[in-house]
Amino acid sequence: MVSSSSDDVVIKVEDLVKSFGDLNAVDGVSFEVHKGEIFGILGPNGAGKTTTLECIEGLSEPTSGRTFVLGMETQIEPENVKQRIGVQLQASAYFDYLTLEEILNLFARFYKRRASTSELLERVGLLDKAKSRVKTLSGGQQQRFTIAATLINEPEVIILDEPTTGLDPQARRSLWDFIQSINADGRTVVLTTHYMEEAEFLCHRIAIMDNGKIVAMDSPENLVRALPVPFEVKIITGSEYNLDALSNLTGVQDVVDDGEGTVRMRSSDAAATVSGIMAWSGQSGAPVKHLEVTPSNLEDVFLSLTGRGLQE
Amino acid sequence: MLIFHLTIANLKMISRNRQSLFWALAFPLIFVVVFGTFFGESDTATTIAVIDNAQDDVSRQLISNLRELEDLNVEERENERLARKEFNDGDLNYLLIIPEGLQATVQNDPPARVTVVYDDTNPIGEIVVGLVDRFIDQANLEMSNAPIRLALTIEGVSIREVDYLDFVLPGLAVWGVMSFSVIGLAATISSYREKKILTRILATPLSVSIFFASQVLAYLVLALIQATIILSVGVLAFGASVEGNLLVIALLLLMGNLVFLNLGFIVGAYAKTVQAASGLGNAVVLPLMFFSGVFFPTDNLPLVLQTLVEFLPLAPMLETFRGVILESKSLTDFPAQLSVLAGWLVGTAIVAVKTFRFR
Repeated sequence: MVSSSSDDVVIKVEDLVKSFGDLNAVDGVSFEVHKGEIFGILGPNGAGKTTTLECIEGLSEPTSGRTFVLGMETQIEPENVKQRIGVQLQASAYFDYLTLEEILNLFARFYKRRASTSELLERVGLLDKAKSRVKTLSGGQQQRFTIAATLINEPEVIILDEPTTGLDPQARRSLWDFIQSINADGRTVVLTTHYMEEAEFLCHRIAIMDNGKIVAMDSPENLVRALPVPFEVKIITGSEYNLDALSNLTGVQDVVDDGEGTVRMRSSDAAATVSGIMAWSGQSGAPVKHLEVTPSNLEDVFLSLTGRGLQE
Repeated sequence: MLIFHLTIANLKMISRNRQSLFWALAFPLIFVVVFGTFFGESDTATTIAVIDNAQDDVSRQLISNLRELEDLNVEERENERLARKEFNDGDLNYLLIIPEGLQATVQNDPPARVTVVYDDTNPIGEIVVGLVDRFIDQANLEMSNAPIRLALTIEGVSIREVDYLDFVLPGLAVWGVMSFSVIGLAATISSYREKKILTRILATPLSVSIFFASQVLAYLVLALIQATIILSVGVLAFGASVEGNLLVIALLLLMGNLVFLNLGFIVGAYAKTVQAASGLGNAVVLPLMFFSGVFFPTDNLPLVLQTLVEFLPLAPMLETFRGVILESKSLTDFPAQLSVLAGWLVGTAIVAVKTFRFR
């Protein structure tokens, strides 16, 4: 279970700033990750997600601010931090000419605590590939291997940078299950993503990042609930009817009409809006051929916070 | 020991990369085989078949004296026609034909004529014929009762002078080691950076100095294996000569290779991709190879170039290497060359450390 008492803080980031020349890639970021959480950093490319992780991992030196892992400050004792975390880097590869088994055995030697190579491979369903090379694996298998490799030192925390980027939906789904099973072992997981479904499905808490800053941080449910317009109501009617009345219905914030009879309304009160539509239909004689109510999602949260879409 | 395991892993990776193995071994070996075939010695080259048509005391004496010559393998043939056929088929390289009635001609109607048949396109043919010629002179002197004014010792006649293969073989070994160390290491480093393997290593507690030391160790081990194979093929298959203390040879090779590896790190620092590393690596290796005396002595170069290459690492390394291998000299005979090499060792190490980039 996720608790939030201050003595179970696994990762702590304080006023982190990382500049490259004039650009502040990370611009005053602070957050805490608690034991047993899956914590997601959601944001578009270039938001500063990877740089934030690299400072925590000891791969990048902060311009100012501090990061702590398991009570150890990364910048002061990087070796000790590295001993106890598992790291997956975005788009990083492994040695071409070693087998999966040889790679894991080699990496195991870098650490004090070592997991069993064959158990790790078995866990990701790659035991029969133990003597194969990485390039013979499919994209999904490669990514599972990469994440299995982060577990080689039995880490308390694993940090994954865009673990599912580039995978097909099925492979992504299977990787989500794997990440949840790692979390079920009691390991804290920090991941970055620009897929809002991924953040919604996997993460207990999310920090939304944009232009080097955290613009919101909470559970996915709370973030959506806090939106001023948490629903979208869509109807299909005839294009010949006067739609002006729709924007005056209870709860409706704005109306988008595609000119061919499909109308989308963002609403703060779905129930009131729907009964308003029914009343409008009865009075004007306009048919309602289709009615759909969708709760808003993290995409809408991002849109309302930044005025832009996540994938832009 | 972690560094031991890392070195083993590196050696495994290098030896599984067929392409790099080709450049490390097959390519230099092709040159050894080509030069060995054209310039080396072989057993058939120094076998001479004798057809004794005289069968008298003089001819028998001549043949038994001929047998005492070192480096010449004497076989007798009964039938001149069959022997000539063997020669034409390329199974024999030299024929010595002794005419009938040699003893009578020597005693009553000198000079007696013996005939040597050889292939005048064979580059060492002249040397063998020269040997036989000098032998005949000697026999002549012995047979005349005149006091021997000009003593020619047969033992002094040697066809094992330094031939081109002997000269080029140490060059090929050093060139093979150099190009593999510079280009191979640079390609490895840039591919590790391109694929973020370097960053992945940085994310582990492994100390980067151990990681790089293991790369250097692997390439040093490989250089010894490489040079051993290249020199052995030259010596065993083509009769090249490698004299000199093997430990000194190995030590010198390792010292030179450290300079090459530093160059590899520097090239790897500048090259963003594997292709760039191999291009840039070749740009370093090829001019060094052509002008530093791998294939031709630097004496033939224009004076400016000749002086210039003395201050580059390969020429001093090669001069020392050849001195040790061909003339059994010791390292103390090459203070100037070794100073230049040591300067490069220190200089390239500093530049390598300063220019290295993990990403």
